[in-house]
Amino acid sequence: MVWFKRSQFLILLCLSLLVIGSMKLTEFDLSKFRDFQNMGDFLSKWFPMNTESLPFLFQESLLTIAIAFLGSLFGLIIALPLSFMAARNTSRNRFVYSVTRFLLSFLRSVPEFVFGLILLTTLGLGPFPAVIAIIFHNIGVLGKLISELIESADKGPMEAMLAVGARKWIGNLFAVLPQIWPNVLSQFFYRFEVAIRTSLILGLIGGGGIGQQLFIHFKTFQYQLVSVDVLLIMIMVIMVDYIGSKIREKVI
Amino acid sequence: MIEFKGVSVTYPGAKEPALADVNITFQKGEFVCVLGRSGAGKSTFIRCINGLQPVSEGYVKWEDKTLSEMTHKETLEVRRKTGMIFQHFNLIPRMSVVQNILTGLFGYKKSYENLLGLFKSSDRLQALEAIDQVELTVEPTRRVEKLSGGQKQRVAIARALVQNPKVFLGDEPVASLDPGTADRIFQLLKKTHVKRNLVSIINVHDVILAKKFATRIIALKDGKLVFDGTPEEFDDKVYADIYNHSS
Repeated sequence: MVWFKRSQFLILLCLSLLVIGSMKLTEFDLSKFRDFQNMGDFLSKWFPMNTESLPFLFQESLLTIAIAFLGSLFGLIIALPLSFMAARNTSRNRFVYSVTRFLLSFLRSVPEFVFGLILLTTLGLGPFPAVIAIIFHNIGVLGKLISELIESADKGPMEAMLAVGARKWIGNLFAVLPQIWPNVLSQFFYRFEVAIRTSLILGLIGGGGIGQQLFIHFKTFQYQLVSVDVLLIMIMVIMVDYIGSKIREKVI
Repeated sequence: MIEFKGVSVTYPGAKEPALADVNITFQKGEFVCVLGRSGAGKSTFIRCINGLQPVSEGYVKWEDKTLSEMTHKETLEVRRKTGMIFQHFNLIPRMSVVQNILTGLFGYKKSYENLLGLFKSSDRLQALEAIDQVELTVEPTRRVEKLSGGQKQRVAIARALVQNPKVFLGDEPVASLDPGTADRIFQLLKKTHVKRNLVSIINVHDVILAKKFATRIIALKDGKLVFDGTPEEFDDKVYADIYNHSS
């Protein structure tokens, strides 16, 4: 047992207790799959797909992509400077660091759905509040992730930039950003992918796009259209993942 | 030109100072090698010169003003006049050779010019001349992470050269290079030093290199300055004193 310490067994025990407790709370019971047949019957209603509304649904998919894209891109643009303020090694001082960290935690802790509900009261129904809700949440998530990338960046180039007489913020920007850029892109495309799924949920509260259609089709038992919605969502997510990996490949 | 007066540096939480009561003066034209065992305080010493490391006691004086008396702008000016090269080159990855060299001009430019990359054609020409001076034979547009260690250090020297420095600092610039490359890099440093009449202060582990190139050798032991003399005066006895275990 040379690989393990006694403390690790204790951690394993705690983890096991947590798993058991969580399974009890969530009624986690694989034997419930006995009624697998029901799911089969339900899914069989999804086919054949109803492709008559495909042009309209395609248009709605484009709207979903636009919501997710703007939500992620503007989120990234705002999160980038904030992440430098929220990283220990680049923050101006302890106060700025703490305030920015708190702001990011706050934005991250409020789900997009809640932001969407709040924004509805001012902005009304439609895709715009959905975009803003995704931007808010993405600022929190991307800000935290990027600040952690900044903290783990090699400090050598930062020191070199200070040594040439560059102002600290310019030095930090040039020394850190090129180092972390491929990972920033990874995070961006991952958040873009997540934003597509989030915009589906925001469709439930009138955010528009394919999510709203999915919700309507589901409620009105139009399962043959639901299958088309799901297929389009899958295509969108795979496409974003593919484009993201190609761009990242090119950048690295 | 540069004066250390009673300089001590104690890092937070450390019991012993990294530098203890160092008094020394450097004049124009001197090529100084700093010797000492790992942890002797060499890097701290070098970093005190351009204010990258603040001193705990004493002062470092440039011409007639101490670093602690200087405004932020004046400190930046001191750094601008000081070319510094590092053991691990500290180049900016994913940027090209010429882009890395141009960052040496950051101290001379306004922030927005740096941010937007607004460099004049004369700046680019200066960067290309620096590439020639350091005898770098790679494409200027090549990304630096694709270069060998020796080539990277040449880029770092070129970056320091475009600063038009009065002082050259080296923090073990050849420690991660093979002996042949290390010798060639030192030849280049010495050539540049003579041509531009600089003050060069370079940390080095290799005593042979130090004796071959330096006009003055200083040695640190446990943060204290224990030797200051010519390469000829640095004999076996001094060597033994500095590098033998103190226990």
